[in-house]
Amino acid sequence: MDGLLVAHGLNISFEIVVLALVSLGLAITLGLLGVLNLAHGEFVMIGAFSAFFVQSQGWPYLAAFPVAILACGAIGWPVEKFLIRPLYARPFDAILATWGLSLLLREMVEFFFGRGFNSVAQPIKGTVNILGADYPAFQIVVMLAAIALIATIVFWFLRSVTGRRIQAMVDNPDLAKAVGIPVDALARNTFVAGLCLAGISGVLLAPIVAVHPSMGIDYVLKSFFVLVVGGLGHILGLVIGSGVIGGAEATVSAIIDRTSGYSFVLILSLLFLWRRPNGLVAR
Amino acid sequence: MNTQLKRREVLAGMAGGAALLSSPAVLRAAGNEAIKMGTFFSLTGPASLFGPTQTACTALAVDQINAMGGILGKQVEIVAGDGGLSPAEAAQAAIRMTLQDKVDFIVGSHNSAVRQSIIAAIKGRVPYVYTPLYEGGECAPNTYVTADTPQQQVKPALNALNEMYGTQKVYLIGNDYVWPQKLNERAKEYIAAFGGEIVGEEYAPLGPGNKFDDAVTRIRAAAPDLVFISLVGGDNVNFNRSFAGFGLDSSIRRLSVLLEELTLFGIGAENSDGLFSSMSYFTAVESPENDAFKSQYAAKFGADGPPLSMLGADAYSGTHCAAALLNAAGSNDASAVMSASNGLSYTTATGTAVMTNRHVNKDIYLAECNGVAFDIVKSFKGVAHGETCSV
Amino acid sequence: MVWLLANATFAGAGLFLLQFVVDDFIAYTLALYFLYAIACLGVGLSWGQAGLLSLGQGLFVGVGAYLSGLSLIAFSDQWFLYPLLVSCCMVPGALGFGIGQLIFRGRTLNGAYFALITLGLVLLASLIATSWNSVTGGFNGLLGVPGLPGLDGFEHAYVISASALFVAILMVAWLLATPLGVLWRAVAEDERRVAYLGFDPNLLKSVALGLSGLLGGLAGVLYAPINNLVTPDLFGFALSTNFIIWAAIGGRATVYGPVLGAVGIGLLTVQLRETIDYWEIILAMIFMGTVLYFKWGLLGYVEPFIKQILIRSTAPLTPAPPRNPTGVGTLDIKGLELQVGQVRILNDLSLSIDAPGIYCLIGPNGAGKTTAFNAMTGELSAQSGQMSIMQSVVASPDARTLAQQGMGRKFQVPCVFDALSISENLSLALWTARIDRPALLGFEALQWTSVIRQELERRFPFLTERSRLVRDLSHGQRQVLDLAIVLCTEPRLILLDEPCAGLSKAETQDVIDTVQWAAASLGATAIIIEHDMALVKALADKVFVLHQGHLLAEGTVAEIQGNEKVKTVYGGGSK
Repeated sequence: MDGLLVAHGLNISFEIVVLALVSLGLAITLGLLGVLNLAHGEFVMIGAFSAFFVQSQGWPYLAAFPVAILACGAIGWPVEKFLIRPLYARPFDAILATWGLSLLLREMVEFFFGRGFNSVAQPIKGTVNILGADYPAFQIVVMLAAIALIATIVFWFLRSVTGRRIQAMVDNPDLAKAVGIPVDALARNTFVAGLCLAGISGVLLAPIVAVHPSMGIDYVLKSFFVLVVGGLGHILGLVIGSGVIGGAEATVSAIIDRTSGYSFVLILSLLFLWRRPNGLVAR
Repeated sequence: MNTQLKRREVLAGMAGGAALLSSPAVLRAAGNEAIKMGTFFSLTGPASLFGPTQTACTALAVDQINAMGGILGKQVEIVAGDGGLSPAEAAQAAIRMTLQDKVDFIVGSHNSAVRQSIIAAIKGRVPYVYTPLYEGGECAPNTYVTADTPQQQVKPALNALNEMYGTQKVYLIGNDYVWPQKLNERAKEYIAAFGGEIVGEEYAPLGPGNKFDDAVTRIRAAAPDLVFISLVGGDNVNFNRSFAGFGLDSSIRRLSVLLEELTLFGIGAENSDGLFSSMSYFTAVESPENDAFKSQYAAKFGADGPPLSMLGADAYSGTHCAAALLNAAGSNDASAVMSASNGLSYTTATGTAVMTNRHVNKDIYLAECNGVAFDIVKSFKGVAHGETCSV
Repeated sequence: MVWLLANATFAGAGLFLLQFVVDDFIAYTLALYFLYAIACLGVGLSWGQAGLLSLGQGLFVGVGAYLSGLSLIAFSDQWFLYPLLVSCCMVPGALGFGIGQLIFRGRTLNGAYFALITLGLVLLASLIATSWNSVTGGFNGLLGVPGLPGLDGFEHAYVISASALFVAILMVAWLLATPLGVLWRAVAEDERRVAYLGFDPNLLKSVALGLSGLLGGLAGVLYAPINNLVTPDLFGFALSTNFIIWAAIGGRATVYGPVLGAVGIGLLTVQLRETIDYWEIILAMIFMGTVLYFKWGLLGYVEPFIKQILIRSTAPLTPAPPRNPTGVGTLDIKGLELQVGQVRILNDLSLSIDAPGIYCLIGPNGAGKTTAFNAMTGELSAQSGQMSIMQSVVASPDARTLAQQGMGRKFQVPCVFDALSISENLSLALWTARIDRPALLGFEALQWTSVIRQELERRFPFLTERSRLVRDLSHGQRQVLDLAIVLCTEPRLILLDEPCAGLSKAETQDVIDTVQWAAASLGATAIIIEHDMALVKALADKVFVLHQGHLLAEGTVAEIQGNEKVKTVYGGGSK
């Protein structure tokens, strides 16, 4: 019985960590740049396809990370320049434009890889026994990698010169420009970094889920809900938001059924959007 | 006011009940013009990964039919429609197909909502053959279902697994909509019949991509002998990957009822141990008919053609069924086709099937996954469909 | 009126003649796309006019369709079927209005969040429709929905939906040309300014969303009997986003843009996605291009000119009815304390004005002058202290109520409505505390003028260029227009924040003269924040000096200039 509790605990933790991981990139583009990137999920998808591509070439799994970063960077760069930059001041239009982008990316991946499901083999096979619960070893690695990644990004953001420059730019772009911070380049790099993080999360998830061109839709909404519930102001928001969304869905699914679990997450997010749009951890 | 008149004329055909069924769409007896076959395959939308193989298999069937003299002595010509549209749009396409393109019969493979909208639109004016596996119960006039029925898919497979492996305790998991619900109803009957036990049942919402770690944990706790899976598409892939990832594949067997080559490819070779599928077609089926089907398919489309799978083979068989129906009836007249249908036997991709009650008794196969391929474990000859439509 | 007649003729003739041009099957297909066009017109109303981007228009269509489908199945032979169907249209309308009231009331919500709320709602509806088998028929939907009694689904489909589209087009054309339409466009541009003119932006937005829901509902109610089925895909993400794409490309702020988008692009898609493999890619690129470079869509650059020609009325302006009674321009502030974060901005501020005249509020930067205004109009709420504005004690001030009672405020940066014409900007002000609800839906109020307006037009001739768009005006003209808007509301208490900032010498003189004339002729109190001592000297009956959120001194210009404390604060000299 203990093993069962541990197993459920691990499942919920994994769910929460994955939510946080997938939301990290969106937290950067939305939280720092104010761009609600509806194509966020498509960059997760591109990351997953990078893993598939790498494996089909017979390269090692780890090679998927640079490939995903290259792919997301190569797409993100022109996207920022031609699509996002003119729209920083028009958040509404940015939603529409990135929605168009998501359509475009989906169709383009279909063009290259077809519409079917693809499979990425798990680089680490088998299960490990944790306190009486058998748990997939690779999912433990994903969890640890995700936590390390989030911690690194947060630490870097708080401590590095670039991190502080980004903060300055977010607080007051004009002033930042006036003191010589190259705001345009910085915003571009931040945006592209957010996309690359989405790609990295795609690489990490690819061996666990079905890899197909429409998979991105699953992620963008949940990520957005996480940020709505958690709040955009603080890294803590990301963690708490993931905890609330992941925890609520798991709990309600367990008590009633999965359809109710999903409806509950929708309703909870709607309530937050409505009554508390700044989330639990306000800026 | 010519158009106005034309619309009246058309209306006469549309509005009609039984009396009008025969009049406007009856084959024009003489002349050498082609016979037109309307198709609704999933060219767009979520099921569109099956569209290419459906189209290709149907083209092959039409080639074969034409080579053997066509239908009623005429060459068959395809009018392609998209079954991936919304039901309302598909209904419009069906109306256009029957009244403007004047197709002589329709073959379709798409979801049930679209099927019902097409039936409502064509109102039995032309024979309509529905080919993919479905939940059963479709008895609309002039509609012929070559699909696998719940009884065919579920009963022999559950019994065989019980005999072979003593799978008594069964866990049911499916998507939250009509097809899985109907299948599970049947599954419960059959399981009760051999004295088995249901140790769990759950449904995941259709639409959002679900993750199944928690379901797998519950399944481990319930310790079934068999998991009966009626999840579709990406959910089927995600579930099976989680299941194997948690190491349950070594101890618990799985039976999926919508698992063909494309979905299995998404599940992946390392996740398919102890996974079974029960349907009327696998490429691995060994029969002279299937060998011929596969070699002719390869000859027509080459190595780069759309990969063969069940939904394509169904469309192929459905097309042959339609040809046999019309040839046997001597026309596409509704009542003639209806009476010709009972007892009609025709060639499928794997053998021979017999139509009764406008459904089809046919061979069903239980296959076990071997990597990303299937091994046929058991063949069931001429399995009864269990539907009761009048003829 | 000309505009409405022109629309009725154009739309009516177009829809009537079209059925003779196309064959029966296209006519039947058009019938479905006309319904989409009706729903899309709703998107045009809420998004193109009131600026509410709804990603969930399908919610209203779906609710209408399910209600209508269920009604038709249950009551198809009852006498009350038609009234019932009409109320089925009303339900989505009420739903839209209710959602608006719930969401907007008491907050200014980020527009992006509104969009996502609507998306969440439609997803939820989709989930309910798919899993509530006993009522909605689940995944397969409601089947065998009978047609409208006496009408045939195929033969009459075109007539039914074309008539509905005709009605919808007329309704939208009419609404767009009324004061309500002007108010919507004003809300889309600057909600706060609309509140300062005495209108309730949240109510206006809710009405727009309600009417949008009504149109969506109408489309849905007819969808069920024409297609004889209702399926959950009406709640699908795809349909709702299609409405957005269609409205955007067609021209979201126009009458015919959403119609052109829905019918044109919708039909094109049906034809082309099978023949052109990558039609969806092309469509996505067109859509992104529209968002980036042609914000107003295809017709957005055509229809306004036609409308201008038709509406350019030579009809004389008519006098506006008298304004609702106003208060007296007095002010009494006692012990106001206001802190934002750690910064204390107002510090026991007390200030009293008991007779009309011109008062100047001066003080160094950071003295709390603008904050004092903000506290008086409810932009910021004071932690403690009492305010009595226009002879009534105000516990929590609110710009809309105060504007109704006779307060006008001009911000430092000109807040004018760029997308509207000069005449519409001035009309908005004339409607303050004058227009009643029926008049919002008529055309007369667009021709209103007043003595004040005429005098302003005499002083600033550019104000007579009635149809000129405000976005084309110079900075100085915008400042003047903003002042004119404030004065046209005929306020008794006028708050002006540096009205002459950025003006040339001549313009400054004109503005000073105007303020003096207006204060005198309205018998109003004007409180002016001003840095320029020359202006203060020219204008002020009395001066208040603020320092660190506290009233440092008050008196005539001469008294202030002699005040030692003031001299110290200003470092020994005045600017």
